[in-house]
Amino acid sequence: MFRPEPMTHLLVVASKERMETVIRELYSHRVFHIRDYVEKEGEKVEGVTIGPPLGSASEVSSKLTRVRSMETTFGIHPDEMTPATRQRVLDLRDTIDRDLAAVGNETDTLLSRRAELEGTIRDLEQQVRELAPFAGAPIEFGHYRGYETLAVYTGRIGRDVEISVPHEKVFTPSPQGNFIALFVPVEHKAAVDAILQEARFMPIPVPRGSGLPEALLAENQGRLAELKEEIARIDQRIAALKEQQAQFLATCDEYLKSDLEQEEAPLRFATTDQAFLVEGWVPTREVERVKAGLSLATEGKALVTEVPGDPHHPVPAPVEYDNPSFARPTQLLMDTYARPRYDELDPTILVSLIFPIFFGIILGDVGYGLILLAASLGLRRFLPEGDGRLLLKVMRNGAIASIFFGLLFSEFFGFKLPWEPLLYARHLSMGGHEAEGGPMVRELLVLSIWIGILHITLGRILAAVNHGRHHGIRGVIPQLGWIASMWGLLLVIWSIVAIPVMPDLTGVPPLVAGLSLPALVGGLMLILGILAIASESALELTEFPTIISHTMSYARLVAIGLSSVAIAVVVNFVSIGMLIKPNIEDFSLVGILFILMGIVVFIAGHLLNTALGLVGGALQSLRLQYVEFFTKFYKGGGEKFNPFGMIRKFTED
Amino acid sequence: MVDAVVTQAAIEMSVEAVQASQIGMKALAAAIAIAGTGFASAWAELSIGSAAVGAVAENKDLFGSVLVLTIIPETIVIFGLVVGLLLIL
Repeated sequence: MFRPEPMTHLLVVASKERMETVIRELYSHRVFHIRDYVEKEGEKVEGVTIGPPLGSASEVSSKLTRVRSMETTFGIHPDEMTPATRQRVLDLRDTIDRDLAAVGNETDTLLSRRAELEGTIRDLEQQVRELAPFAGAPIEFGHYRGYETLAVYTGRIGRDVEISVPHEKVFTPSPQGNFIALFVPVEHKAAVDAILQEARFMPIPVPRGSGLPEALLAENQGRLAELKEEIARIDQRIAALKEQQAQFLATCDEYLKSDLEQEEAPLRFATTDQAFLVEGWVPTREVERVKAGLSLATEGKALVTEVPGDPHHPVPAPVEYDNPSFARPTQLLMDTYARPRYDELDPTILVSLIFPIFFGIILGDVGYGLILLAASLGLRRFLPEGDGRLLLKVMRNGAIASIFFGLLFSEFFGFKLPWEPLLYARHLSMGGHEAEGGPMVRELLVLSIWIGILHITLGRILAAVNHGRHHGIRGVIPQLGWIASMWGLLLVIWSIVAIPVMPDLTGVPPLVAGLSLPALVGGLMLILGILAIASESALELTEFPTIISHTMSYARLVAIGLSSVAIAVVVNFVSIGMLIKPNIEDFSLVGILFILMGIVVFIAGHLLNTALGLVGGALQSLRLQYVEFFTKFYKGGGEKFNPFGMIRKFTED
Repeated sequence: MVDAVVTQAAIEMSVEAVQASQIGMKALAAAIAIAGTGFASAWAELSIGSAAVGAVAENKDLFGSVLVLTIIPETIVIFGLVVGLLLIL
């Protein structure tokens, strides 16, 4: 809580013969975050190089490529699969080569046959296209060729033509373009050319082959149908193969990937002729287990040392969150901004509490809250384990908060629940029906400002802790200055004007020069605060107006909420007030249509408003965390803890 | 006598008219506050948004910071809304 998982810097040194043992051991623990050895110019140590991969790396890699290509062929996504059983690695190691080759060969045969068939189909279709125009003319293809005294014309033509010279003609009208076959003596060619050109003649070459076009066409089409059937059979076979082998391929993928990661691990080590060195981070609570494991595996022949931290030049450790389970989904929101650094406060738990509260204040409606709650619970089944699920959990928390504040605001789809609002009312009146009271905007606005003041003060306190840890009291003073200026300013304002929901200090009798005690104290705090801020850097004072602008920014909690109420009220007014109610009172057949329309408007309008409320509520609430809260104390930019090893789904030792 | 009554009525009329027009002016002022700041927010988000989409296309990890940058100008319209509400109420 508030701190990331404590990490210990470890150094493992052993002779090269032990390298594979050490790699397998570290991999099985899955707690060692390797710091890659990088050969930097200038920092190079004589005789130390990056290690070469283990012996069978390239073989494993080529097998993995083969598995991946088959997965692409079959459309298999191991990440989205739920394994039926787990396979033992030992069994798999013995059979993988044989089984993989068998599946691979069958796949290759099927695919190459399919490609061949597709090529033939393309050729046949081309032939059919060429034959089609001749289909109407009952002339064998052999008769179109081989004349010395005759000119043969075949092609499309705009209209039938009268030929004045001796000739033979076949004309087939067709909606795709009329076909003409024309035989004329060679000496009349010029005259016929002119006639044909006028009729927009476009020649088509005579396809090769012999026999009647009709017969040829029928034969080709029959053949096409056969080929397509065979392709369909192959596709069925591929689908069946996918069904059978999906689990096997996913298992191979996982096994080979884990093997490859281990084979290639030396690329991250520093090696000499005889020995190797690997540096990394282990969660402190796991250190003893890793040490014991390594000692057992190498018979005590590996040196494992803890590197003491240097307070002046700390090596940044990778960051693994350490939060109670209810705050874990919120880590997603943190990672979206930036993961905390190892040496700063991790505010996840605060965000996990405050984010839903802000969301609830903005949306604050029992009806919308219930819809979102149902959606977040219902959608869970359709999403795989991962970020999507976490987001749903965040949404669930927001929905619960929204229902809670809905009860306080006494709101249900913009209607009033049967009790008066326990907080300030947000109900709007519409259509000339003056509702009792109306929204208490002033009070609500001041309430949101109060929330802002407290939230920002919390941010500054966290900043004081962060800075205090690094720079001692000198780091704390400016932060206290910010807090003092803000509260000092508040005291001054309170003693000048009376604001609802805030202390009224205007009645306090003046003490000196017309100024009351609170005003004097406030002024003093303001001045001391400004001096404290300037003690760090005078430039910081340019940020001073943010005391007001950031606090005012919290007005969005009420503003966005009121706009959501307004949309709900409009939807209710249009659907119920204008369409449903008058038609029920004055019932007629046409009225049913209007009532149905009213129901549609009601449902669509409220769904739209739910979506708007979800997006608006989430984004605005998030923004208040990111901009107004985090900018006070949070830097982020920590490296994610990424242990050497794998979470296995399909295999086990 | 008749004149006096008429004048009296005219004065009352004009007082009512002035009051009504004052309410109207307030509403108009609130509308301008919202419209102006709304337009300003949209304008600011236009350029930030298009740059943001470009940045995210280059590097997906920027999504978080880009999201924050894009919604920063929303504060402008919130201020407008606050001013508008204070004018009306």
